[in-house]
Amino acid sequence: MKTTGTENADRANFPQRPAASPFTAASQSTTPFLSSGPVVGSEAFAFRPAPPNAPQTTPSAPQTTRPYLSSGLMVGSEASGFRPTQPVRYNDPSIPRPPSSFVPPPTGTLQHHPTPQFFSTAQAPPPRTSPGQPVFPPPIRAPAGHVPSPPVYLHSQPQISSGQMGSPPQSINYVPSGRSVPPSSSDSLFSAPRSTLQPLQSAFPGYSSKSPNAVTQPPPVQSAPVFTHQGGYGPPPPATSTPFLAHQRGYVPPPPVAAPPAFYSREQMQHQGSGLPMGAVQGLTEDFSSLSLASVPGSLDPGLDSKVLPRPLDGDVEPKSFAEMYPLNCNSRYLRLTTSAIPNSQSLTSRWHLPLGAVVCPLAEAPEGEEVPIVNFATTGIIRCRRCRTYVNPYMTFTDGGRKFRCNICALLNDVPGDYFAQLDANGRRIDLNERPELTKGTVEFIAPAEYMVRPPMPPLYFFVIDVSISAVRSGMLESSLTQPQMMVVTDLDDIFVPLPDDLLVNLSESRSVVDVFLDSLPSMFQDNVNMESAFGPAIKAAFMVMNQLGGKMLIFQNTLPSLGVGRLRLRGDDLRVYGTDKEHTLRIPEDPFYKQMAADCTKYQIAVNVYALSDKYTDIASLGTLAKYTGGQIYYYPSFQSSIHKEKLRHELARDLTRETAWESVLRIRCGKGVRFTTYHGNFMLRSTDLIALPAVDCDKAYAMQMSLEETLLTTQTVYFQVALLYTSSSGERRIRVHTAAAPVVSELGEMYRQADTGAIISLFCRLAIEKTLSYKLEEARSSIQQRIVKAFREYRNLYAVQHRLGGRMIYPESLKFLPLYGLALCKSIPLRGGYADAQLDERCAAGHTMMALPVKNLLKLLYPNLVRVDEYLGKASSKPDELNISRLPVTAESLDSRGLYVYDDGLRFVIWFGKMLPPDIAMNLLGEDFATDFSRVILSERDSEMSRKLMEILKKFREIDPSYYQMNHLVRQGEQPREGFFLLTNLIEDQVGGMNGYIDWIQQIHRQVQQNA
Amino acid sequence: MAWEAIFWLIFFLMNMALIAFNLYQIVCLSDLEADYMNPYESSSRINAVIVPEFVTHGVFCALFLLAGHWIMFLVTLPIAFYNAMLYTKRQHLIDVTEVFRFLNAEKKYRIIKLAFYLVLFAVVIIRIFSAGTFFNIFSVFHFNNEELDIRSSFLEF
Repeated sequence: MKTTGTENADRANFPQRPAASPFTAASQSTTPFLSSGPVVGSEAFAFRPAPPNAPQTTPSAPQTTRPYLSSGLMVGSEASGFRPTQPVRYNDPSIPRPPSSFVPPPTGTLQHHPTPQFFSTAQAPPPRTSPGQPVFPPPIRAPAGHVPSPPVYLHSQPQISSGQMGSPPQSINYVPSGRSVPPSSSDSLFSAPRSTLQPLQSAFPGYSSKSPNAVTQPPPVQSAPVFTHQGGYGPPPPATSTPFLAHQRGYVPPPPVAAPPAFYSREQMQHQGSGLPMGAVQGLTEDFSSLSLASVPGSLDPGLDSKVLPRPLDGDVEPKSFAEMYPLNCNSRYLRLTTSAIPNSQSLTSRWHLPLGAVVCPLAEAPEGEEVPIVNFATTGIIRCRRCRTYVNPYMTFTDGGRKFRCNICALLNDVPGDYFAQLDANGRRIDLNERPELTKGTVEFIAPAEYMVRPPMPPLYFFVIDVSISAVRSGMLESSLTQPQMMVVTDLDDIFVPLPDDLLVNLSESRSVVDVFLDSLPSMFQDNVNMESAFGPAIKAAFMVMNQLGGKMLIFQNTLPSLGVGRLRLRGDDLRVYGTDKEHTLRIPEDPFYKQMAADCTKYQIAVNVYALSDKYTDIASLGTLAKYTGGQIYYYPSFQSSIHKEKLRHELARDLTRETAWESVLRIRCGKGVRFTTYHGNFMLRSTDLIALPAVDCDKAYAMQMSLEETLLTTQTVYFQVALLYTSSSGERRIRVHTAAAPVVSELGEMYRQADTGAIISLFCRLAIEKTLSYKLEEARSSIQQRIVKAFREYRNLYAVQHRLGGRMIYPESLKFLPLYGLALCKSIPLRGGYADAQLDERCAAGHTMMALPVKNLLKLLYPNLVRVDEYLGKASSKPDELNISRLPVTAESLDSRGLYVYDDGLRFVIWFGKMLPPDIAMNLLGEDFATDFSRVILSERDSEMSRKLMEILKKFREIDPSYYQMNHLVRQGEQPREGFFLLTNLIEDQVGGMNGYIDWIQQIHRQVQQNA
Repeated sequence: MAWEAIFWLIFFLMNMALIAFNLYQIVCLSDLEADYMNPYESSSRINAVIVPEFVTHGVFCALFLLAGHWIMFLVTLPIAFYNAMLYTKRQHLIDVTEVFRFLNAEKKYRIIKLAFYLVLFAVVIIRIFSAGTFFNIFSVFHFNNEELDIRSSFLEF
């Protein structure tokens, strides 16, 4: 693969799994050396990955590269193939781990083979390097400020490369691995051990060199080549899986398993400018990924090319291995654990500095064909464990000829009710297994009998509370879109001060016309209204009185600051001096206790509140939002609402609010196995008891996060099971229980926890914790707490490997968390947390905070790292069809913007369409008609009579369909048009340095420095 | 000395009341934790007694000052201040919506207060006896009785 020596070549290889494995193999080959001193950690510094691996490697002789290849191939493919199964072995009793898994050991040996290839690459450089070698020395390091670590390697290579190549960029790459490539030079750089080895190397053409010094080097090599890609590739999934195997195996019995780990390493990101492989350097074979952060001597540039930084351009990548390990688990759209490996002791938990918990989205929309099966236990009653009340699930085991079942959560042996009895077959499985979705699917829905009802199911009720003060009339809010498809019952509050009799509720299907007439008459009724005041509190109270018999959803359209009666609020947030003081947070919490009390009362009577804030002035979302926060509702915020502009958005979102699948009068509880307990819950809801979440209404756009802790110092079980149960009334008036079950292995290794980490869930928890923190501390503290936790986590991770590997100035991180720093940065720059007073309006901050507290993982990640795509080329192409629309995402940085292009920025909540200065006028003309020269703030993008316009609208429609929960409104922005451009786009380019906040590179370097400081 | 005795009796009763208030709150919180009571009921019950408790403590503290028991006054003063601070910040009531988040802290806070009042209770009891309060009180009656006692005059006579 590397022979070409050019990175591109490498890349090509990269995708192939086998290639990766070879690397690992290489590492293994090195292992032999290690083996001798594995424990020692031999100064060899070898990178050897996981300790376990090392052992494995030992068995395999580094030597025979040839054989290896053949076998290597096998291994590579194989490994990936069987991986899934292997994992199982860990905990899951049910799944037998395939013996095949063992294969790895051989692979180890085989893997070596790849090295030869590698070698070739290496060699290519070597010649060059040899000249360069002199360079390597320590002096180089000095320049690189950050690289404190002893490993000299980095710089020298770059220099060499530059010399030969003449391309400076390479320097960046100089990752150690690169060194390895040029044996001689690299050796010197790398480590003494190597040098010693060198002789050997010479002996073996190509590879030999490595083998000697081997140990360490090989790994790096791999990674480098593999990873080189610039920014975006996602690591091949299979590879990841392999690592797992390796681990598990490896750890337990160090034996041969090791090989797999290699895959992980790939992550190193190097990137080289010219074709030199140098830059590419080797990755570690290890389980970790790394990033070199040294600077080129003599240059001021940070030694890091922004292109090599990891970016989630493929969107949210969920860890797949976990699902493969436990095929009976519910889908990850319902439940995501921050790490799918549960620590087995409290001491291990304390070393895991990231949140340990789960993010649950109980009603996530299932794609076609994966609908949740509905089970009706009419005859037997719902089967549950009689002690812990766990619902029957696929992990329950039947024994005693099928007469008993053992609860997977509390291990109690229960009797099987007579009507539910079925014989067991020879394998101990029920013979009726295939007809029982509750025993084969991680997610099922039970029809709940009467004992699960406090009262008969109520019809869904939507109650509109509409502000009719003058500003509402002026903005056109009343005219906008209130005749939506409503469901069953609507009540209208026509005048705020009218005391409400209980019969204001009308059945929509019977009196649709009355409602329509009323709605139509609303604008005219109030068109002469000059009342500036808004009696929000009394209106809510009245609405509450009407609704408290039935419960339901209250939709509040508020346009001004509540100014009359109870719950009146005053203007606040204008005082600059409050910011940065200890009182700052009080602006973000409700001012009047009325709102909290009201919210609690609403929840008690099963009323959910959705707030539509349509003001152009301060409306104190912090206070109004409280109503939504504790009732499981949602805030829709439309700053500067004008019906002509926001009509579409309001119509779409209101329709979505009214028509999406909604669960009423629900309660949610998550159960987990013995020894583990959920302690804190985060999201928009109210707790009804220590572990019972009360949700008057819940729908597919809401997610809830929770953190858990270990109750016992040591867990003795092999697997921890989680079960999320949501008891609710469906819109059709049926009481149901939706149950999601998942299992996760218990591990004793911190490395395994990192390997199984889920960045999306971690970020989701971080986000909620940080936003909660802003309610009682300064923004600054919330941001730094995120940073501190990331640093601590990476430091702990570094310590895991620092002993055995020469890490040098490289920053290492687990493959699974490669996007964590970026998302952390994005979080710090998100609206609720960014900057200070001037960086976001108070209302905007609070509204965004409430929204982010409820977003499911996928939407949150998209909001944090938006899609940025260039569309002008696509629009220009005559023939392309929308189906072929395959636009690659660009890094969210100003450098991605070309002034000749047209870009769409999509964060899930809005579109920003950026017109470059040099964009061919015909495109703008086609898209905007005669409006293209006017002020963009007034222009509405609509479909015009041109091919291009239709195409653009089609693209936007496609983007919207991906996630219908919010309607992305178009904001047109012209390059250089300030402050509009800055407001909509530039401040949101999270990789750039904006307003005193770090850019991506600086952020990485800062984290890296802090990681090393106390390492 | 009669006044002194009455003061100590009042202290005694107030201390009992404070202990009762605290016990009641702790029981409510425990019930909430054990899911015997829902948060609405629990917090409304607790909130109902918080202000009376604060007032009682304020009076308690002030009476020590009036009675000239400086040491006792200083001992109870910090809590009075703390209560006043909570009240002015409007943080004295339990927040229904977040009650579970602060459940443990609230419980701990009340248990500590309870312990404080129990210590105070012991002190009050000791002072009552060492100052001979009961004796004095009874002696008052006794004295009065003596004058009215027919038998004594009869015997003297």
